[in-house]
Order: sequence, then structure tokens, then C-alpha cells
Amino acid sequence: MEALRNALDFSDFPRIDLVVAACGAAFILVFPLFPHSSFAMATMIQFLMFSLYGMGWNTIGGYGGQVDLGKAQYVGIGAYTTAVMLIRWDIPFWVSMPIGMCFAVTWSFIIGYPLFRLKGHYFAIATIATSLVLLDVFEVWEFVGAAKGLEISPIKYSPPDFLRLIFKEDVYYYYVIAGFFFLGIFYINWFRNSRLGYQLRCIKDNEDVARSLGINVHWAKIKTYAIATAFVSMVGSFHACYIKNIEPEDTMSLDISILIALMAMLGGAGSLWGPVIGAAVLIPLKSYLKEWLGARAGLLGIDLIIYALIIMVISAVEPRGIWGVIERVRGRKK
Amino acid sequence: MSLLEVHNLTKYFGGLCANDDISLTLEKGDLLGLIGPNGAGKSTLFNCICGYHSVDMGKVIFDGKDITGLSAYEVARLGLARTFQVYVASGDLNVEENVMVGAFMRTRSRREAREKARAVLKELKLEPLGTSLVSELPVAAQKRVAMATALATEPKLLLLDEVAAGLNPAEIDEIMGIIRHLHEMMGITIILIEHVMELVMRVSQRVIVLDSGRKIAEGDPAVVAKDPKVIKAYLGERYAAEKIGST
Repeated sequence: MEALRNALDFSDFPRIDLVVAACGAAFILVFPLFPHSSFAMATMIQFLMFSLYGMGWNTIGGYGGQVDLGKAQYVGIGAYTTAVMLIRWDIPFWVSMPIGMCFAVTWSFIIGYPLFRLKGHYFAIATIATSLVLLDVFEVWEFVGAAKGLEISPIKYSPPDFLRLIFKEDVYYYYVIAGFFFLGIFYINWFRNSRLGYQLRCIKDNEDVARSLGINVHWAKIKTYAIATAFVSMVGSFHACYIKNIEPEDTMSLDISILIALMAMLGGAGSLWGPVIGAAVLIPLKSYLKEWLGARAGLLGIDLIIYALIIMVISAVEPRGIWGVIERVRGRKK
Repeated sequence: MSLLEVHNLTKYFGGLCANDDISLTLEKGDLLGLIGPNGAGKSTLFNCICGYHSVDMGKVIFDGKDITGLSAYEVARLGLARTFQVYVASGDLNVEENVMVGAFMRTRSRREAREKARAVLKELKLEPLGTSLVSELPVAAQKRVAMATALATEPKLLLLDEVAAGLNPAEIDEIMGIIRHLHEMMGITIILIEHVMELVMRVSQRVIVLDSGRKIAEGDPAVVAKDPKVIKAYLGERYAAEKIGST
């Protein structure tokens, strides 16, 4: 009961934040009712998905300060679990998603235990490495389609199929992921004020002090990593049903990992709204840049240049991202 | 049964002996000062007791339990809290939330942790600072916050590491007032590390002097301060010789 109350308790934010957040939530809820292009719809779904990836990343990367650049491997585990189970045994999404989460969390424990013996850059590099190893495994694993991947053929089902999450119209997908999005926000709102949330901030700033306060630093990191993993894997499962065609290169490439971390850092690592702000800026930017500059002007790869610029600007100007800038402006006004 | 017993504790860093065969006992309710010049091995001893360093030889027994070789967080959970010279829990959090990190050691509930934090802040007269960011506070206040955080873990024994370092005389008086309050009013057993002699002499019931990793004196502060070995350790051989020669 107390947990539920804490999840719904946003009282420590200034009123203006809550008004803006309520407007944003209202926009997300009514967006499909207005005329929109299918491109805009796809961008919105991507935005919600990447917000959730970012929220997951933010638990360990933002609150815990452990920069993780290997989240794509968990997208892959979630996506492949759902796709394989649906194609081979006709197991619906709502069953395969939690199973995928269990697989992903188990894997996160296996690699998290040794990885969290490392610190800082070494940890970041190790996460990249494990993710790439898993990518290579999926590239050659025949059971999951190897390099050509898996395809969920919608013809076999009769959409709208709510159990298997097979729809013809994107609007259904939109509301499913929007539901996850709001649950995610409430969860993170609970998380940031939970015992683990407080302990993580202490771990981020000083592990010796954390130990003196009875915090098992290694275990706290592993637990949080598992939470981040569960988020990412959940959206990965959704990704499988939504995209329907998954290949190792698309679902679990290094680009995805970097993009997830980049978004959270751009918006503001270690704040509730940060990943959402980051996704709201970066996803439309990415989609439209690809569409306009990539497809029309033939400037392929321009999005990567822009990411690089963003990384440089964040690290030089404000490591706490857009949310940090907002906080600073507010601090000055006071 | 003593609250803390250290038996023949020895710690090497490579070939350097940082703690050489140190033994001490501490009863419930004691206020022990641990002094010595820089490099005497005070902090090493602290770190060995709290599980931050492994111990090469000897044993640490806390509250009847052998804690030699336990992890730092396990030692903390048994009720042995410590502060660090400058560090508070987190710069992202305000004062009350920092203290809550300590309180979370004994509870999972945010409400209980908050109540505990408020009570401790009240006890240390830090209430007005509750919502300030720690990074905006002066060093003296940060040290009090660090003490409050350690207290929120409900320790049986509190180890304070150089609480007076970097403070001006007025602030030292204030910190001494707090230490006395913790000891006398709240009945907390305390070990105080300090190389500023004055503070330790004024509040401690008993002091132990370390020099070059060895225990060179133990006893009543006033007696220890006159011990030639202690004077020599602090002020050097020649000064000691002159001083003792002249008296």
C-alpha cells in the first residue's frame, strides 16, 4: 500500500513540472485521435519505446552512475524470446514477455556478477563486449534464424489479436506501449525514492561511505542492473511483435546500446524526466534526419555525426543534460 | 563483556608495518581518543576494525562476535558506524535525504526512514538545514551531516575520523559539544581519531597514543599528555630531550 502511494507521489516536484507533465501525458493519450501521418505515428511509438529503454538505463546508469553501453543485448533477449515462442509454439506475447524478462534478468545476473567488479570505463567497455558477444552468438545460432533472423508473419493470425499482439493498425501498438510507458513512469517514481534508489545515489558518489552505511555495494548494483534489464527486455518483446522482422544486426547492434545511453544522458541522467526528455528530442531528430537528409539528400550517416556532436556538447557544457540546464536556470532565479 | 576487543592487530602495506601488534579494549559507554602524529597508523587501525582493510594478524571482536575479515557493510550492519573525514552520502540529495540513506540500513519503509532522519537531525540541531543541498553547506555543517547519517544507522559504536580537521576554533567547540551530547545524553560509545591533541584531551575519558604503528601510551588524557614518549612522538627527539632535561 505504501509502495503504491509512493509511486503516485509526485509532490516533491514544483507545480510547473507537474503541469507540463500532465500536458505531455494528455498529448500522448489523445495523439492518435488527431489526423497524423503513419510516419508520425511510427515516430511516436519509437519515442515511447526509447523512453522506456532510457528509464531502464537510468536506474543503473543515472541513479547508480554505472555507465552501461550494452543494453542492446537485453533488447535482443526479449525480442527473440517472444518471436521464437510465438513462431514455434504459438505462445502469446503476454506469456512470452515475462519469460523473456526472466531470461534477460538471469543473463544479467550471470554477467553482472563479474562485471561489477570493474569500475568506470572498464565497466562500460565490458558491457559493450558482452553485448557484442551475444550478438555474434545470435548471428550463427540456427535455432533462432541465425543472421537472417526471424519473421512473424501476420497472415497466420487474425488481427487484431490482443493476446499475441498482432495488429494491422499501428494505433493498437501505440496504446499498448503507452500503457507500458505510464507504468514505467510510476515505477521509476517509486524507485527513485525507494531504499535502493537512495542507496544508489550514495554508491554513485562514494562507495566507501556506502559500505559504512551497511550497503552491500556489489549486490545493490547487480539488483539495479537486473531492474534495468527487465525494462529493456520488456520493450524488446514488444519490439518483436511491432516490427515483426527481427535480425541480430537491427535489434541488438551497438548503435541501439549507444542510443539508449545517449538519450538518457542528453535528457538528464539520474532524473525522472530525463530519459523522456531525451527521447522526445532525439527520436524525432533521428527519424526526420534519416528521412530528409538520408533518404532524400543521400547524406547517409549524418545522424551519427549529430550524435557525436551531442555527446561532445553534453560532456563539455552540462553533464546532467537538458534537465541539468533546467535545474540550473531555476537555481539562478531563486 | 567488552563492546570492542582488538587483539594483537598487525597490518602490513608491503614491507611497511602500519599497525604493529596493537591491542585495545573498549567498554560500553566509553569515549576513547585515538591520537598520534600523521602516519602513526590511526586511520589504518580504523579501517582494519571496520573491514575496509584486511588484517594480516590478530583479531577484532565486536559485541562478542569475531568480525575479523567481514566486509565493511556487514560490520556496519552489526552496529559499528563510522564517518569519513569529508564525505557525506550523496551530493545529489539534500540533508534530510542524506541522513535517510543511513536510516535505510534498518528499515525498508521510506516513511520510517524519514521519521528516523528527522529525529536524528533534531537531536543534532540540524533541522533548519533539512532541505539544503549538502554541497552548499560549509565544511563544519557537512561533517555534522555525516555524523547524523552515521547515527541514523543506530550504531552501538561510533568511530569518528578527524571530525575537527579543517575547522576553526568556534566550529571545533561546536563539534565537541555534539560529541559530548552523543556520549552523555544518548549513551553512545565513541572512538575518536584526531591528530589535533587538544580536542581529544578535552573530551576523551581515555586516550591511546600511536606512533609509527605501535601503541606507545594509554590512559588518562592528562597523564598521557605528560608522558615523555608521547611528547617525543609529537614534538621530536630534541625538543623532548630539552623539555624533559629542563624540568
